[in-house]
Amino acid sequence: MKLYVYCLLQGIDALDEALPGISGAPVRLEKLEDLGVLVSDVNTDAIPVTRENAMDHAAVVRSVLSRTTPLPFRFGTLVTEQQLRNYISARKAALETNLSLVRGCVEMSVKIISEVAHENSEEPGQAEQGIGTRFLTVKRREILGSELRSAQAKEITAWLNKTVNGLTRDEKVTVQPSEKLFLAAAHLVERAKLNQYREKMAKARETRPELHFLFSGPWPPYSFANIDLEFPTQFGVT
Amino acid sequence: MSFDQIIVNEEWEETDLSLLETLDHVLNRGLVIAGEITISVADIDLIFVGLNVLVSSIETAHEVLRKRQTE
Repeated sequence: MKLYVYCLLQGIDALDEALPGISGAPVRLEKLEDLGVLVSDVNTDAIPVTRENAMDHAAVVRSVLSRTTPLPFRFGTLVTEQQLRNYISARKAALETNLSLVRGCVEMSVKIISEVAHENSEEPGQAEQGIGTRFLTVKRREILGSELRSAQAKEITAWLNKTVNGLTRDEKVTVQPSEKLFLAAAHLVERAKLNQYREKMAKARETRPELHFLFSGPWPPYSFANIDLEFPTQFGVT
Repeated sequence: MSFDQIIVNEEWEETDLSLLETLDHVLNRGLVIAGEITISVADIDLIFVGLNVLVSSIETAHEVLRKRQTE
């Protein structure tokens, strides 16, 4: 028997209602030291990545969001009770620090999509150029395009940062100038400032009609859950 | 899951985006207990990649699977 773990939390002594978890397994609140962990008892060695399971995981973590701000575990985390105890005991200080950071906040996600310009059309007279000249012309265009995207990425990042200034407690921003998904940002927003944040983002979006935006949230703070000393590999496999 | 606003290319349905965003969060982020994440990637219908948010998860999952098969 193993424990499937959903999230870590403080300030809740009992669950409001019976929750179904991964594959319908009941969810219970395990108290370890003064921290709570939402877990399900499961009889399996691996959790399949299916949309149902992913949604179940997300639903359990979300279910406590109205009462507290939990630190979500990554999907697929299976441990023995002893391993969970060891983990919490060894990292208690870091976990409490992280819980303090996210307390009273939710995560808001912003993704910005921008079309990658593909300038493949030939310039006038290019057909008459030699192979070497044509190669250099194409290369030059690629380099200029890449520089343009980098400059654009820098400008958009600064613009977004200025837009949310004073409304976020923390942020994680990933910029990929060469990709269609140009920028992905996670903002840690205090609940009291959430409406203000939404209004600001809605207005800001109108000023940038050339960009596609995907706003989602509020989320439990998945992007702010990591702590030092964690396993570097994404799925924890050596 | 509710979204504040969704403005993307027309081919994306809101339900797809809701799932995509959920997967992006639960698969790519969150606390990791060293060495204790165990997943199975048998159900690959999750891959409807267009935005590249999922690519890293699925590529990593394939890598894990390949390693396991060679062990």
